[in-house]
Amino acid sequence: MVEPLQLRNLAWALTTTVECVLFVQLARRKFLDKYPWFSIYVASTIVQSAVVATAYRVFDVPSMVVWKIAWASQLIVVFLRFQALVELTRKILDRYLGIWALAWRLLFTVGILVLANSLLFSKGDWYWIFHNMERGFELSIGTIIVTLLLFARYYRLPIQRLHSALMLGLCLYSVFFVLNYTLLEKHIQELVNFWGFVDILTYLATLLIWLNAVSRYPEPATQALPVIPKELYGKLSSELNLRLHLLNRQLNQLLRSEDQHR
Amino acid sequence: MSASLLFFIFFALVVLSLLLWASRPAKHQFAPDADVFEALSQSRHCYHFHQIMQALRPEDTEYLREIGQAPLVRALRLQRRGVALIYLDCLQKEFETLLEISRALAVMSPEVIAMEEMERWRLSVAFAAHCAFLKWKLRLGLQPFSGFTLLSDMAINIARQLEAATTRIAETAVRGSEPSATGHENIAGL
Repeated sequence: MVEPLQLRNLAWALTTTVECVLFVQLARRKFLDKYPWFSIYVASTIVQSAVVATAYRVFDVPSMVVWKIAWASQLIVVFLRFQALVELTRKILDRYLGIWALAWRLLFTVGILVLANSLLFSKGDWYWIFHNMERGFELSIGTIIVTLLLFARYYRLPIQRLHSALMLGLCLYSVFFVLNYTLLEKHIQELVNFWGFVDILTYLATLLIWLNAVSRYPEPATQALPVIPKELYGKLSSELNLRLHLLNRQLNQLLRSEDQHR
Repeated sequence: MSASLLFFIFFALVVLSLLLWASRPAKHQFAPDADVFEALSQSRHCYHFHQIMQALRPEDTEYLREIGQAPLVRALRLQRRGVALIYLDCLQKEFETLLEISRALAVMSPEVIAMEEMERWRLSVAFAAHCAFLKWKLRLGLQPFSGFTLLSDMAINIARQLEAATTRIAETAVRGSEPSATGHENIAGL
């Protein structure tokens, strides 16, 4: 029977291989300069695997040095993932000047609120502040992506399939990370190998989504959008709101008239 | 079960569900440069509000009841409820068209007014809730009612305000479609 540790190492080797293939594919499709932060993020995960594997070989395994190296590299990777998310958000929204100005404030606020809320559960304990920060960060990434998708849906903004798949991968990994971590937090010490294995599996699924997207979907084309003057939007917007208000009032009249009768 | 455990699991599941919902294929997209003013110039169902209210008045069927035509009264009321439901559908469609127009305008605008966008979102939620509620009430059997002359007057007043608002939209649009000095590409279709 295969030991959990061996299984985890096998999955780890497999994800590193898929990461390398993804990076090569990004280079082959000439996406490196078009998605610099995403490419740096993928590269950083490869470097992280190499660094942590080396640390495991050099130091004794239950070692504080290995733990510090692993967490420091993880912080860098999470930061780069966040940058990749910002890059994708910009690519999707910055053609729409007005929408982008509104969206980034909204997304930033949502992200900060979720992160702050996650930290509230730490109760001043540094160990939990550290762990909840990572978990909160991942939850923020997931929430920002979902808010962005809902926002795009509300305004009927088209999202190219490549962007959509990259976002989906980021969001799925973040959400499953939070779920895995939370469900196993009480038994993290006993189940550390199992937890590592589940985490790697969800990450592998994410990598496969990205690899498929990068290999299949073309680079999104950008076309000029018609623009209306700001003043025209302001006037039309308030008039439209008035009309919506009036229609709503009309409906309320119907409701109230019925209530009066009853 | 601790509060943090509940929070993280609940929140993660909500995010996952919303992700699935938001990833569904979108409905048809409104073509902003061609359809905005065509949609605005379409006839407005809200003007028939007075007739709808009239049709639901108790006096309209009271006479038939008095002369013993109860089955006819029932049939008539059923028919009128059906008309009222169709009217509500049209009203909803009109509301959605206006929302579509406002979204299209926001997408094309170099700057959006957050408060107005929020207000529109609030209105759309309120309208959807009221409309669904009223439709269910009608389906369950709306009875004719009395004493709403005042309401009819208010309805006429609303229709007048709507007319004025629409005229202003058209005027503003015509003025706005004239070549501007902003340097941006203007919408050709306006």
